[in-house]
Amino acid sequence: MKPSSKNPNWNLLGLLPAHLIMLLTLIIPIGIIIVVSFSTRGPYGGFEYVFTTAPYKQLLFNEGWTGELEFNPQYLIVVARTLLLSAVTTSICLLLSFPVAYFIALQRPTIKVLLIYLVTLPFWVSMIVRVYSWIIILGKDGVIEKTLRGLGLVDQMDSLLFGNTAMLLGLVYSYIPLMILPIFASIEKLDPALIEASHDLYGNRLTTLRRVILPLTRPGMIAGAILVFVPSLGAVLEPTLLGGGKTMMMGNLIQLQFGGARNWPLGAAIAIVLMAAVMVFLIFQGLRSMRSEGLERAA
Amino acid sequence: MSTRIRIAALAMAGALSFAFSLPALAEGNLAIYAWADSISPEMVAKFEKETGIKVTVDAFSSNEDLLTKLQAGSSGYDIVTPSQHFVKIMIDSGLLEDFGASSMAAYSQVLPDWQKPWWDPTGNHSIPLAFGNAGYTVNRDLYKGPVDSWKTYFEPPVELRGKIASLAQPDEVIPAAENYLGIKYCSEDPQEMKRVLDLLLAQKPFVAAYSSDNIENRIGSGEVAAHFWWDGNTMRLRRNDKANVEYAMPKEGLVGWLDSYVVPKGAANIENAKKFIDFMAQIDNATAQYNYYGHSSPVKIDESKALYNKENAPELFPTVPVKMGQTCSPAAQELVTKVWTQLLQ
Repeated sequence: MKPSSKNPNWNLLGLLPAHLIMLLTLIIPIGIIIVVSFSTRGPYGGFEYVFTTAPYKQLLFNEGWTGELEFNPQYLIVVARTLLLSAVTTSICLLLSFPVAYFIALQRPTIKVLLIYLVTLPFWVSMIVRVYSWIIILGKDGVIEKTLRGLGLVDQMDSLLFGNTAMLLGLVYSYIPLMILPIFASIEKLDPALIEASHDLYGNRLTTLRRVILPLTRPGMIAGAILVFVPSLGAVLEPTLLGGGKTMMMGNLIQLQFGGARNWPLGAAIAIVLMAAVMVFLIFQGLRSMRSEGLERAA
Repeated sequence: MSTRIRIAALAMAGALSFAFSLPALAEGNLAIYAWADSISPEMVAKFEKETGIKVTVDAFSSNEDLLTKLQAGSSGYDIVTPSQHFVKIMIDSGLLEDFGASSMAAYSQVLPDWQKPWWDPTGNHSIPLAFGNAGYTVNRDLYKGPVDSWKTYFEPPVELRGKIASLAQPDEVIPAAENYLGIKYCSEDPQEMKRVLDLLLAQKPFVAAYSSDNIENRIGSGEVAAHFWWDGNTMRLRRNDKANVEYAMPKEGLVGWLDSYVVPKGAANIENAKKFIDFMAQIDNATAQYNYYGHSSPVKIDESKALYNKENAPELFPTVPVKMGQTCSPAAQELVTKVWTQLLQ
């Protein structure tokens, strides 16, 4: 007899620590954010437990300079910009990571371990320090400028800091390990016999890549894309330190609501909308991969 | 002053606040939450040695962060150091202890100008720590023109275009713009605030960054040629790092600030906090603190031992009006937020 049938609650008890952690660190905090987003703002920040949907209305409608309520897409623009930036970051990470992961997977076991260790190495250093080091690299009299000048390639150059390129560079740099690792894992699982089989069946290199390697490593790419996309949405450091903060990203917008704007409920509402958008995206993605797996099995 | 932060301090604050996230309960502890690099470490060490009290100092980077932290509930700190307009909000919101400041020894050291100010009319909630003003600093290697008006900053001449940096928060930038336009602080008139927005929008194409981090490197290295900044910070950069920078004296007026020691409601070590505040106001210690921090002292100091005077630190002795930052009404603050959101949307 299995222990679980002796005591029907055994499974539940065994999982209790995990459930507790989920409850305390995930469900309750999200619940608090939802409550705040439906509360009335205090005059100097904070909030009062008086139900209102005003924060959600404020996402779309604001008082104009004449005092009349008008449709204002300012927050939607910030949301759209953030989504676009995250998508671009994810795409660049994906394009760069696949060859890297493939290369690592082909190495001898000792080299492989070393390379994977090197990929994860940046995580040992504080994020803020890593982003900051890019200021030293890109900034005036920075590493790049000095090198180029030393080689006699440039005489005077504009600062590379502050702008979308610097910001994107920072984001890709910060999150690329999260893409390399899952892709590496799925390439490792790839059976070399399948690639040989493809060649035996007169598939050339491109066909093999397209019809065999990419479909089989897709779960790794999807996992990597999610791991990069989601944190990029909330990025604050790179837009501020490298981008120069000239346009707001969602993270900055939420920060402004809890700080200078003293409008916690609006900040909470934006956070909830952001989270809902991510969840819809993930559920959609999950359903799609479930369906394609089902198809493969059926075939 | 909104944000005086060094990245290292921020990183350290993160690490420290993790390590000390449990409020200090035992007697003999004192937890301070202050602007980055604002409290002399030597004075903290001296205080620890004299009293045996264990002091921890964490750094915050903006008044807004501090207010949010106190509003969110028990912060675990015994002393925090907000600016004047936030002291008023905190007193009005019941976030601060009445620690009888006006009957403390430290209070007798406070210069008459700063006793019972509008933000603390009873004088019982705060003892001032430092004061100064916000304006802008230019790098004289890159810009040789006049700096006697906010016009240079907000409507920059060709040589400054693309070489200007502003702060990441509106808290002092908007009052400066209001000084330039001749609008009163905390205006509740949307039309007036629309003019502020128009000014900032016209300036935006010439702004390289809106950032309150790492200012000394940005202006000192010449990454930008003009930066919104503070008096004492400019003075320290010029004196300590021999940077060729000059603090502007705009005739329309600088934006004044004053930071105070206050005690958050429910602090665990109020008596130790009072001991520390009294200690820091003793004339020798106040002088050492002044020499360390480089912002003007609102308590008496020993002029013969002070490092800075009108000749070697003109930044600290403005020749133009200084208009103290005000506590805006919620309606006025709403307009400030609207301007800032539309500027950076």
